[in-house]
Amino acid sequence: MKAVVVGAGFAGSLIAKVLGDNGFRVLVLEAGAQPDHDEALLRFQTALVKTPLAPYRTTTAAPSSDYLINTGPFDYASPYLRINGGTGTAWTGITPRMHPEDFRTADLGHGRNWPISYDELEPFYRAAEWEIGVAADADEQRQHLPVADGYSYPMHALPRTYLDHVIASVVDGATIDGQELLITGTPQARNGIPVRGYRPDGQLCAGYASCVPICPEQAKYTPHRTQKRWSHNVELRTRCVVNRVHADEFGRVTKVSYQRYEDDTTGTHTRHEEEADVVVLAAHAIENAKLLLMSGLANSSDQVGRNLMDHPALLTWALMPEPIGPFRGPGSTTAIDAFRSGPQRCTRAPFRIEIGNWGWGWSAGSPGSDTAEFVAAGLRGNALRQAVANRVGRQFTLQFEIEQEADPTNRVTLGPGRDALGNPRPSVHYGLSTYVKDGLLDAKRVSDRIFELLRAEDHTSYKPDDERYFEHNGEPLRYWGAGHGGGTHVMGVSPRDSVVDQWQRCWDHPNLYAVGCGSMPSLGTSNPSLTMAALALRTAGHLVSRRVMSAGSELAESAGSRPPP
Amino acid sequence: MDAFVELSAELTGFSAEELRSTGLVEQYRGLAGNASHAEIIELWYTGVWRGVIPSPRAYAEGLAWKAVGVAAPGTGAPGFGSWERRPRRSAL
Ligand SMILES: Cc1cc2nc3c(=O)[nH]c(=O)nc-3n(C[C@H](O)[C@H](O)[C@H](O)COP(=O)(O)OP(=O)(O)OC[C@H]3O[C@@H](n4cnc5c(N)ncnc54)[C@H](O)[C@@H]3O)c2cc1C
Ligand code: SF4
Repeated sequence: MKAVVVGAGFAGSLIAKVLGDNGFRVLVLEAGAQPDHDEALLRFQTALVKTPLAPYRTTTAAPSSDYLINTGPFDYASPYLRINGGTGTAWTGITPRMHPEDFRTADLGHGRNWPISYDELEPFYRAAEWEIGVAADADEQRQHLPVADGYSYPMHALPRTYLDHVIASVVDGATIDGQELLITGTPQARNGIPVRGYRPDGQLCAGYASCVPICPEQAKYTPHRTQKRWSHNVELRTRCVVNRVHADEFGRVTKVSYQRYEDDTTGTHTRHEEEADVVVLAAHAIENAKLLLMSGLANSSDQVGRNLMDHPALLTWALMPEPIGPFRGPGSTTAIDAFRSGPQRCTRAPFRIEIGNWGWGWSAGSPGSDTAEFVAAGLRGNALRQAVANRVGRQFTLQFEIEQEADPTNRVTLGPGRDALGNPRPSVHYGLSTYVKDGLLDAKRVSDRIFELLRAEDHTSYKPDDERYFEHNGEPLRYWGAGHGGGTHVMGVSPRDSVVDQWQRCWDHPNLYAVGCGSMPSLGTSNPSLTMAALALRTAGHLVSRRVMSAGSELAESAGSRPPP
Repeated sequence: MDAFVELSAELTGFSAEELRSTGLVEQYRGLAGNASHAEIIELWYTGVWRGVIPSPRAYAEGLAWKAVGVAAPGTGAPGFGSWERRPRRSAL
């Protein structure tokens, strides 16, 4: 059985591994080049603005998200990366599970339901946590989520930051809007102390404080780790941009076309084709949709590219009364989960509150911005040194991950422009619903209350000339792109209104799968990659059992909502 | 006494010795020997010279980080769990 996997990013690397381990011949076609760790580190250090993509060499032939065109009322602000390893190379590595409620958001009044429940996904969450290497404490997670009895995460929870301890000492047990606050450890895909039976891959997290975009120590999970564990059945070809998937008259996928380039600085390429028994698209939510649209496949529901969701993030920033030592260790080790669930989410989007440990780095460009401010105010010498120490040493940020519901008008289409290979650029029409804006506004109000409790000095300000600024009910607001794009090949129970079934198989094509956050009918308030990884492992298991069941003939049959094998 | 180092020390609040220990005096003298005070401070504090970070070392040795008592992100490994400790009072 021959599988072609399109994209060697987060989802594709996981699926290729399971298929390769189970006797498939797997060819992974990856658009980007191979990154070089040392070179990336150097680029990071000398990049003026340390954006998530800054360290990584990209190619003219396979541009990353910066070639995306925005046409909607709001800008879609999340980046993605096209190199071997994908966006999973630059990600932060925060890995909470979704809340059980998040799987039935339509029942709660907004967005879509999943075709599967939390309970059905739970075993795959555990498998994904062991494959990726997640540090967390099961009892602590049980305070807000069902986690299987007797289960341990492969590594113990990472130590909290000093900031977390200070905040917890004030906030734990306080209430806002009747919700009791509790600082809870956030599961992390970076190496801590292993439990028995787990051997961590890579070094122990040493506190470099640059996990996104690059961990010098390689203590953070990236798909390169999974690639190292690929069996000999898996072949990787980098610098191969898939630009078409072909199907026969019965809808069965037969082959893919791709463009191979050698030179990273031009669009010069050669054309190739590869036949396959099964094709798995794992090119990222936006690129998967683009590829399906370019191929004219899987779209009988007219949902391909629609329902684009992300977490519009709200940042608020303040000074603690005393120094707390920011910029030491991971970006965030705890969160407040009280606003993720419950009846309030029927009226405004729910949110998860990350305690941000890297000062005002993302929100306000610290410490460069503080220095510039003090210098402009005339401070020199010791006065300057002291002012910077006193300001930056007390900084912290709250990051609110706001749920965004599936909305068919938020969509990816093929743009008018062409890239260097002659392929259409993705065009995004993106907006924020009243539900999301109400969530952002409420998040700001909760932030005000938390800062009051902490006696923190609020420095948050959103100005009309800031990027992504807007007003809602007369209040100034702003959002940041979290990098969590999903929904663009949405999963459902019926071919009429969804693109893939619960196995991420395209309803219209029995041997074509589209995997990644694009399949997710809701994102809830969790960073999505762990859920995406759990889904990928579930899909891989399904492919393996179908092959075992009928050695290939089954895959030729028409798709449908078959019961699980 | 070196005039550039002396001026830098006066502007930044870091001693001549602290400045020399960055290994950047020669590079910075070449770049900013005749620059404005604000530019000299920006260079020492953030490693940025007219919109460019001239070397990885310039980033790593930024005085803004040293003022706070932390390593520039991605340049120093204080060790597993070190982030849990109360921060050192800055050396002032
Ligand atoms: C700054 C940032 C921080 C993040 N932090 C977190 C976090 O803390 N927690 C979390 O859960 N999520 C996080 N995410 C999201 C996470 O990175 C994504 O959810 C995840 O990487 C998506 O996986 P994927 O496999 O779908 O896509 P990717 O990882 O992007 O992989 C897609 C791959 O397909 C390749 N490809 C694309 N087009 C083609 C083509 N035409 N032909 C061949 N190959 C192609 C790409 O080059 C790439 O290698 C973050 C994202 C960003 C941007
Ligand atoms: S804190 Fe440092 S060592 Fe730990 S994962 Fe982040 S960058 Fe890597």
